[in-house]
Amino acid sequence: MGEKKSDVLQGTLDLMVLKTLYAMGPLHGFGIARRIEQLSDEVLQLNEGTVYTSLLRLQQQGWIDSKWGTSENNRKARFYSITRQGKKQLELETENWERIAAVIGRVLRLERQG
Amino acid sequence: MRSLRQWVAKARGLFTRKRLDQEFDAEIESHLRLLTEHFVRQGMSPAEAVTAARRQFGNVTLLQERQRAQWSFVSPAEWLGDIRFGLRMLGKKPASNLAVVVALALGIGINVAVFGFVNALLLRPPAGVSARSGLVEIWLHSRISTGVQSYLPFSYPDYAYYRDQSRALEGVLAFDGDGDPTIWNRSGEGQVIQGELVSGNYFSLLGVQATLGRAISTGDDQPASPHPVVVLSQSFWQRELGADPGIVGRTMILNGAVFSVIGVAPPGFAGLLVGSAPDFWVPLTLQEQFTHDKDRLTNRSAYWLIVAGRMRSGVDMARAEAEMHVLAHRREADYPDSNKNIDAVVYPVTLVPGPYRGYVRAFTGLLLGVFALVLAIACTNAASLLLARGTGRMREMAIRSALGAGRGRLIRQMLVESLLLATAAGVAAVVLAWWFTRLLLELKPASLPVTLEVPLDWRVLLFALVVSLATGIVFGVVPALRSAVVDAAPVLKEETQSGGLRTSRLRSLLLIGEIAVCVVLLAGATLCVRSLLHASSIDPGFDTHHIAVATLDPATLGYSPAKVDAFYRQLMDRVVALPGVTAASYVSHLPLGTARESTSAGHHAGHGPDKARVDVFRVAPGYFSTMGIALLSGRDFTQKESDSPEPGTVIVNEVLARKLWPGQNPVGKRIALGDEKNTSEVIGVVKSGKYRTLGEDPVAVVFRGTLPPARTLVLRTAGDPRPLLDEVRRSVQAVDPMMAATGTQTMEEYMALPLFPARAIGLLLGASGLLAVLLTAMGLFGVIAYVVAQRTHEIGVRMALGAGRSDVLRMVLRQGMVVTLIGLCIGLAGAFAGARLLAPLLYGIGANDPATLIGVAAGITAVAMLACYVPARRAMRVDPAVALRYE
Repeated sequence: MGEKKSDVLQGTLDLMVLKTLYAMGPLHGFGIARRIEQLSDEVLQLNEGTVYTSLLRLQQQGWIDSKWGTSENNRKARFYSITRQGKKQLELETENWERIAAVIGRVLRLERQG
Repeated sequence: MRSLRQWVAKARGLFTRKRLDQEFDAEIESHLRLLTEHFVRQGMSPAEAVTAARRQFGNVTLLQERQRAQWSFVSPAEWLGDIRFGLRMLGKKPASNLAVVVALALGIGINVAVFGFVNALLLRPPAGVSARSGLVEIWLHSRISTGVQSYLPFSYPDYAYYRDQSRALEGVLAFDGDGDPTIWNRSGEGQVIQGELVSGNYFSLLGVQATLGRAISTGDDQPASPHPVVVLSQSFWQRELGADPGIVGRTMILNGAVFSVIGVAPPGFAGLLVGSAPDFWVPLTLQEQFTHDKDRLTNRSAYWLIVAGRMRSGVDMARAEAEMHVLAHRREADYPDSNKNIDAVVYPVTLVPGPYRGYVRAFTGLLLGVFALVLAIACTNAASLLLARGTGRMREMAIRSALGAGRGRLIRQMLVESLLLATAAGVAAVVLAWWFTRLLLELKPASLPVTLEVPLDWRVLLFALVVSLATGIVFGVVPALRSAVVDAAPVLKEETQSGGLRTSRLRSLLLIGEIAVCVVLLAGATLCVRSLLHASSIDPGFDTHHIAVATLDPATLGYSPAKVDAFYRQLMDRVVALPGVTAASYVSHLPLGTARESTSAGHHAGHGPDKARVDVFRVAPGYFSTMGIALLSGRDFTQKESDSPEPGTVIVNEVLARKLWPGQNPVGKRIALGDEKNTSEVIGVVKSGKYRTLGEDPVAVVFRGTLPPARTLVLRTAGDPRPLLDEVRRSVQAVDPMMAATGTQTMEEYMALPLFPARAIGLLLGASGLLAVLLTAMGLFGVIAYVVAQRTHEIGVRMALGAGRSDVLRMVLRQGMVVTLIGLCIGLAGAFAGARLLAPLLYGIGANDPATLIGVAAGITAVAMLACYVPARRAMRVDPAVALRYE
């Protein structure tokens, strides 16, 4: 019941994780964290642990799946991959996000009148 | 959809938590290691890299905790917090919480007590039986009749056949279900004790080990040469023999024969039948010394053995029963004369023998149904109190919700509180149930030879737990849901203090329901109690005061008929000489007891359509005057007739006289009894009474002058018969030191037995009705008092604006009485409809007896009035100045 507290931020992180998995294919938690870090150009300072909270949440929704496998340097790691449902959800959320971002963008571009 | 999937994931987490935890820890660890390596590659020293990785990853413990919360419903810490907070909230209103707990505890406790009896009689294997699994009882069942009469115990030849032929059963045991009263020669004085004849494999199949010496074995129980050995019960050994450790190897004289004691049974073991508590066990093949029947081991029509078997491993009841059917068919083919249409059925072994389970189940089911209604009242009570309190806590709920508590969180908090209340009530209920059970067992008349252990074992405790938790959820869920619907803003703006319209309407509905159920219950209970009072005021047809009775059976000692007659003559001479005795006589068995003899009666000898079924009592001269039974015409038996083996004279009761000779004087007429060739002369007619049960329809009875060896002595006394009982016992010993009387008691004590069912049911139903009224009054009082407290401010305003005290009183009373009257109407309608179900159980009273219904309605109105008046008076005393300054 605590998960509702920061819906916006959580939603964003979930969206980023989903998109990363969609774009990169199966990845482990460390890989996801690295990828988001690279893409955000260090703008987004993120506790990497929260990635796991997001992963669990997505998994419980059935949007991603996980399997144990071996990482590139031969370590046991859990690999996450996006499911078909996840892809649908990603489309939906992306649309949503773009619409909201567009609205916010328009609002922010408003000039002072008078 | 989304939340459903989350719940599934959480539910799965319940079972796989440990694995999930471990996997998650491993995942984090590997992530940290990778991150450290990543930093080292970027040029940090290993130590720096570890710290940096930790920093960048964040708080691991916090993450683990959140993770756990994700896949479990609630974290343990939150639960503890809820419970702690709940306890604190409950502690704030100790009085009303105590009231709720007491009400629920009474309701739950009485149900648990009844369940305790169900458990002891129907669910539990008999005490002391260690071989719990796989024991079944086997009963013969006649395919052509129905009811309990269609079930038969076994004859010995049938038992031997099933024992030797069964493959599904590991072994088949048998015992004499009637018990065998035995005279024990205790250093020259006779004492009557109870024995049980058992097959040689009885103890070994039940897995009962002797605590001292050994148990009876198959070797002791050989038809050709049975060993005269006896195993004593633990309680007999302690009570009568002072727990003498050297008892094994000694001898005892039972019914005049010498037996050697081979062992003592373990504590608690009292056989397999409810009520029978044998003092000793002896081999079955010695039956002649105890039953005085010569042919029981060979007679295929003497049904006297209760049979049980133990299933082999892998065999279930269905397979055992299938085999019994096969054996029964084969037996039928072999002996069509005795075994035609006789089948065999199996039951699990419990204290109540299989065929009688239905009766006990129906009776206890009815009781549980009634007490479930009582519990429903207690629940409604608790719910309406919680609801009222929920209204008072709206501000608290509003604040919590404004601070971010979700709806689920608020509901959970309220449910935790009601479950805490229910748990407290459950604990108190178990204590109450223990006490109720003792109380119910006390009710049993001392003369009823029944001992029953009603333990609070795991089944009863589980029942108590389930009922308490279910109760907590039932009464907690509505107030919880209601309290969580909070619109924080108006509440916090102090716009309102008393509950919204919807809450108060729900509260009224609950009260109405409670009152309606109470009316139904009270009406039913009153009807039953009144009908039972009717039953116990029935004239049994004889005096129940100033009479003492004692039962004797010299045949147990193997006396000749002449010796038996001599004994009774001497005893009679002695007892009539006792001070205070005005008359004395003998009878074969007392009316309203368990013994019965019957035959057919008609005008002519031989079989005929005019023959009537009659009960037979055999009496000595003076029986009617001793018992206070009026002789309507003719005369009593003479001593000469009593001494003659075939006197040829009988006395009939009015019912029989009217049946055989309507409108005529039967004295001097001839009557043909049973198969007797000679008819007998009717010499007298006596007033009819009750013979089998108090509620019976008139029974035709014939009294004969010839008596069997077993008789009951009846004594009429001028004053209280109680002091005479010891004199009677001493007289028996004085005439023959080896004889002992059983059931030496006053007639009033004896009557406790036929009245017992009526008294027990009356008491239980009466208690349930009273409890219902008490609980309903508590509920009304609690809610009205709460509402008054909540409306203090409003009442203050009204009074400040000029409302008089009587206006306030009327207002509060009206609120309570409207609810009461609506509930009353619904309840009366319900009682009217429900009474039809009760009608067949009622005696001497109509199901819709108007006096009862009016009385119940008036009583409940009065109680409700009182419950409302007390808080109303408090409202009347409200000081407007104080009330307005309040808050």
